[in-house]
Amino acid sequence: MAVEDSQPTRDRAGAPPAHGQRVAEDLLDTDEDPQQVDREVALQSLNQWQLAWRRFRKHRMAFVGLGILIFLVAVVIVVPIFQPFNFLNIPGSPRPGGEPPRLDRIFGTTYEGRDVFTLVANGGRVSLVVGLMSMVIAGSIGVVVGSIAGFMGGMIDNILMRIVDVFFAIPFLFVILVAARFFGRGDVLSLVLIIGLLSWPLIARLVRASFLSLREADFVDAARAVGVSNMRIAFRHILPNALSPVIVACTLLVANAIVLEAFVSFLGFGIRETEVSWGNALANAQEGIRFGNWWWAFFPGMAIALTVLSINFIGDGLRDALDPRSRD
Amino acid sequence: MLAYIVRRVLQALPVLFLIAVLSFGLMQLAPGGPHQQFQQNPRMTDEMVNRYLARWCLERNPDALGMLRSFGGWFGVWNCDAGGFLSEQGMPNFLPNFLGGGDNGVIHGDFGLSMTVSPNRPVIDLITERIPATAILMLTAFTIWVTLAIILGVIAAVRRYSVFDQSITLMSYIFYSLPTFWLGLMLIYLFAVNLGVLPSSGMLSVRTAPAPFNTPRFWEVFWENPLPLVQDIARHLVLPVITLVAVSVAADTRYVRSAMLDVLGQDYVRTARAKGLPPSRVVFRHAFRNALLPIITNVALALAFLFSGAIVTETIFAWPGMGRLYFEAIQARDYFLVMGVLFVGSLLVVMMNLLADVLYAWADPRIRY
Repeated sequence: MAVEDSQPTRDRAGAPPAHGQRVAEDLLDTDEDPQQVDREVALQSLNQWQLAWRRFRKHRMAFVGLGILIFLVAVVIVVPIFQPFNFLNIPGSPRPGGEPPRLDRIFGTTYEGRDVFTLVANGGRVSLVVGLMSMVIAGSIGVVVGSIAGFMGGMIDNILMRIVDVFFAIPFLFVILVAARFFGRGDVLSLVLIIGLLSWPLIARLVRASFLSLREADFVDAARAVGVSNMRIAFRHILPNALSPVIVACTLLVANAIVLEAFVSFLGFGIRETEVSWGNALANAQEGIRFGNWWWAFFPGMAIALTVLSINFIGDGLRDALDPRSRD
Repeated sequence: MLAYIVRRVLQALPVLFLIAVLSFGLMQLAPGGPHQQFQQNPRMTDEMVNRYLARWCLERNPDALGMLRSFGGWFGVWNCDAGGFLSEQGMPNFLPNFLGGGDNGVIHGDFGLSMTVSPNRPVIDLITERIPATAILMLTAFTIWVTLAIILGVIAAVRRYSVFDQSITLMSYIFYSLPTFWLGLMLIYLFAVNLGVLPSSGMLSVRTAPAPFNTPRFWEVFWENPLPLVQDIARHLVLPVITLVAVSVAADTRYVRSAMLDVLGQDYVRTARAKGLPPSRVVFRHAFRNALLPIITNVALALAFLFSGAIVTETIFAWPGMGRLYFEAIQARDYFLVMGVLFVGSLLVVMMNLLADVLYAWADPRIRY
C-alpha cells in the first residue's frame, strides 16, 4: 500500500507490507475508533513524491528558499512587461555617477540614466533561462552517458569515464571562457549550449555510481529472471531509483549555470550589450564603481546571490526529502 | 608506496594526452582559427608566418591528415623538419632532446610563439614569467584559508548547535552563494573608492616600484632594499586575498565541521573522554588527527579550484599572474598562448589531484596500495 507505485524502493524488501501490518494491529486491538483507522490508512497510502514533499516542507530553510525563488521568478516575468529593456532607449542625460536610490527609483540609475531596477528585472530573464535550459541539457546528457557507462560496464564504461576525467582535470572556468570567446555568438542560445555541453560530467558520474550499485540489486535480478529487456531494465527499473541524487545535483546545476553566465558575461565574452543579463549589467557597472556608483553593481549581484542562495537551500531540502533512508 | 605513486602517474598520462587533444582541438575548430589570425595580424610578415607553419607543421588549409600532423607537431611526437615520427638523429621524436629526440612540441616544453599578446616571444617564457605573481597570491590565500577553515570548523563541531555553530553555518551558506567577482567589486568600492585605504588594482604602486614585478630591474632594487616593496605588495594583496578566501572558507568550514562531527561520535573518542583526558587533548590528539584524513584530500582538490578562481580575481584586481595572462590571451585571440596556459593549468590541476591521492594514501595507514 505504501509503495504501490511502479518504482520499487531499495528498502522494500526490509519493510513488512503495510497491509499485513494493519491486519496484525486489528487482531491485537479490536475496539479501535473506525475514524482513526481511516486516517491511518489514508496516511499510509501516500506515494513516494508525496512523502518527499512532506519531508521537504519540514525543512524550513528550503521552504523559505522556494518562497524567495517563486517571488524572484514572478518579478522577472511580470516587471519586464511594464518596463521592458530597450538598448536604444537612453532616458535622461548621462551623469558620471548616476542617481542614487530614491523612493521612485528604488535601485538608483546607471550613468546613462537607466533604471537599475528595470535592468535587474529584465536581466533576470536571461539569467534564469540560461540556468534552467543548460541544466536540462547537462542533465539529459549526463543521465544518458552515466546510464550507458554504469549499465554496460567494461570497455565502454572505461572510455566514457576517461572522458569524464578529462573534464574534471581541466580548470573549468578556463574552458568555459575559451568556448564562449571562440564559439559563442553573444546570444542566449549559444551560452546555454556551451554551459550545458560542458557541465554534464558531474551528473554522468553520479548516475554511473548509482547504476553500479543498483545493477546488483535483487529487483534487477528479478526483472532479468522474468525476461525484461536490458533497455527496459536500465531505464524503467534502475533509473527511477537512481534519480534522487541526480535531482539534487541538477538543482545545484541551475545555480551554477546562473553564476557561470554572470561570470562569462562579466568578462565580456557572454551576452552582448544589446540584451541585458545580470552578468553584463555587472560588467558595465564596473566603470561606475570608480565614481562611487555602488548601487549599479550591488543590486544585480544581490539578485544573483539571492537566487543562488535560495536554490542552494532548495537543493539541501531536496537532498533530505529524497533520501529513502530518512523516512517518517 | 613508490609503486603506487608510479601507477598513479601512469594513470594520469592518458588524461594529460586527452587534455592536449582537447585544447588543440578547441583552437583548431574555432571559427577563424590561427590561420585567419596569421593573415589579419599586420605585424606578422609572410616570412614569420611561414616559420610558424613549418615549425609546428601547420598548414593553411589542412585536411584531416594535415590536422593530425599539426597536432603531432604541436604535441611533440611528430618531427616537422624530418616529416615523420623520428627526429633528425634517427630516434623517436618524443624522447627528450639529450636522448636523441626532437625539440618541438609540448612534451619538450615548447608551446609555440605568442602571436598577439607579445608577438614572437615563446609562450613558455610568458607563462613562467607570470607564475611567481600567481604563486604569491595563491599561497597567501591558501594558507589563510586552510587555517581559518580548520579553526572555525573545529570550533563549530565541538560546540555543535551553539549560537557560534549556527551563525557559522548561516555565514557559510551566504558567502558560498556570492559570486566572486561581485564580492571583489564591492570590496573595491568599500576599501579603495569609499574609504580610500587600500589600492584597488595592480600588484605594485607606481610610486614605490622601479619596474613591473618579476623584471630584472625589479629584483635588482628588491635585493637592495626589500622592505618597502614587500609592504607595497602586501597592501595590494589584501583585497584579492579576501575575495578568494571568503568564498572558499565558506565551503570548507562546513566540510571540516562534518568531518570532525563524524569522528567525535566514534567509540575511541568516548573512551578517551571516559578515561578523564582533558577535553583539548581529546579534541586535538584523538579526534582532529583522524578528521584530518578527509580534510587533506579536500584541501588538495580545493587548491585546484583556487587556481581556477584566480582568473576572476586576477582580472578584477589587475594582478599580473597566469589568470590575467589567460584573459588577455583569449581577448586577443592568441591561439598558442591560450593552448599553452590551458595545458599548463590542467597539468597543475592533474598534479594536485595526484598529490591529494598520494597524501591520502600516506596519511591513512588503513589504505592498501
